[in-house]
Amino acid sequence: MLTTFAAAVLVSLAPLQGETDTTIAVPAGASLSVNNFGGSIVVHAWTQNRVKVHAEHGSRGAIEASLVGNTVTLRASSRHGAPSVVDFDITVPQDMALTLSGTYTEIEVDGVRGAITAETVDGSIDVRGGSGIITLHSIQGSVTLADATGRIEVNSVNESVELSNVSGQIKAETTNGDMTLMGIKSSSVDASTINGDVEYEGTVSDGGTYSFNSHNGDITVSIPEGANVTLSVATANGDIDPSFPLPLTRTEGKHRYTFKLGSGSARMEVESFQGDIQLRRPSEMRLQHKDKDKDKNHEEN
Amino acid sequence: MNDQWTDLLSEYVDGELAAGERSALEAHLATCGDCRATLGDLRRVVARAKSLEDRAPKADLWSGVAERIGAGRVVAIRSRRFSFSVPQLIAASIALVLLSGGGAWLALKPRPTQGSAFGPRTGPRVTLAVSTGRTDAAIADLQDVFERNKSRLDTSTVRVVRQAFATIDRAIAEARTALQADPSNAYLNLHLADTMRRKLELLRRVNAIAAAQS
Repeated sequence: MLTTFAAAVLVSLAPLQGETDTTIAVPAGASLSVNNFGGSIVVHAWTQNRVKVHAEHGSRGAIEASLVGNTVTLRASSRHGAPSVVDFDITVPQDMALTLSGTYTEIEVDGVRGAITAETVDGSIDVRGGSGIITLHSIQGSVTLADATGRIEVNSVNESVELSNVSGQIKAETTNGDMTLMGIKSSSVDASTINGDVEYEGTVSDGGTYSFNSHNGDITVSIPEGANVTLSVATANGDIDPSFPLPLTRTEGKHRYTFKLGSGSARMEVESFQGDIQLRRPSEMRLQHKDKDKDKNHEEN
Repeated sequence: MNDQWTDLLSEYVDGELAAGERSALEAHLATCGDCRATLGDLRRVVARAKSLEDRAPKADLWSGVAERIGAGRVVAIRSRRFSFSVPQLIAASIALVLLSGGGAWLALKPRPTQGSAFGPRTGPRVTLAVSTGRTDAAIADLQDVFERNKSRLDTSTVRVVRQAFATIDRAIAEARTALQADPSNAYLNLHLADTMRRKLELLRRVNAIAAAQS
């Protein structure tokens, strides 16, 4: 059985009216690699040890599928050299590790429990699920991650980044966009943007390290009651607005203030050059976030 | 080379990775020359950081930092076996970016210290607490690479990247202006260093994407 899987399988799948369908049996622990120039990659999970592929493409396009060792590779190709636009709809075993990449490609993953790497230049990335190493990068699209756990790195350049119900070590960055982290369980969070707001609602664990940074935006962070944290807050041109009493421990120059809550064992840095810094209790933060969402939806409608 | 692997290298050097992560990383190192090179660089940086302790740094990157900010404050790095002072952190945050991704050679090249080709040209740099000459040079070099290779990218991508560069450049200019008024401010120094690091990382990333389009 294993020798069957270990053998290299390369299939150049002929298109049928611009659609390709195939199913590939895979061994436990297999991974999937998909590279697409333009279009979309949508991945769902199921409990079977098979990868089911449905791809829609132009009549000149084709899909190359291979299984080498433990890795299934799917690649869009074109008979006439020009890159083809393909919409992949792929169903994979729940624990499969994914490496998804594209240039003008939207990426969506739902329900997978393995490691996920997704990179696109122009397109959003929307992932629900995942564990282990999770890396999501887009230049022109927004990045959202929900219900994931592990060592997480997400970034965009020109859009927002949103994380919800995520646990583990988190590093999130964008340049022109807001950063929203809600329902986070982590002892290590580093979230920053140059031109946008930052919101964090989540745990502040003893011994943890937290860093929230913006140049042009406001930062709102929730501090749970009873948290043991040494809080370093800095702003060059904004205001500091806590909703609860903060015992000042130290002032460094004109711009940085340190507060110690409880034993102070966690370290948290909250810094905005131009914006205001709001420190809230989790319940206030959730309410504030809900109101902000309502306003946003109202504006969009 | 993937940033996620790069992040693991530091903990690998410190012997702090779990067995599974260590095995996965070693398997990756076997096939990735860039990561092996970065690992070598990182080991050298760690060895050098351990040897620095209370001695004044000699490299240009460190010049003027210690006396202006004050080397007294020591920040413990959690889960590390050594600690950095604030000035060391400022320089190290930039130096590590220069060392990663094959950028070390850029830092070693002699370059003029005045403004980058793309960035704003501000007043005399001597008024700043942090010596940013090498970082400016690295940014200028990477900017040149971007200008040469941008035709490989879609015009809308180039436009978006330029917007991002402009945003970061404005932030750098504002941080520099604030530092001119308050050169010894630790927050402003770190903020400038971090914002410049962001520009370096973005340039590296965009150049890698452009290279992959060929």
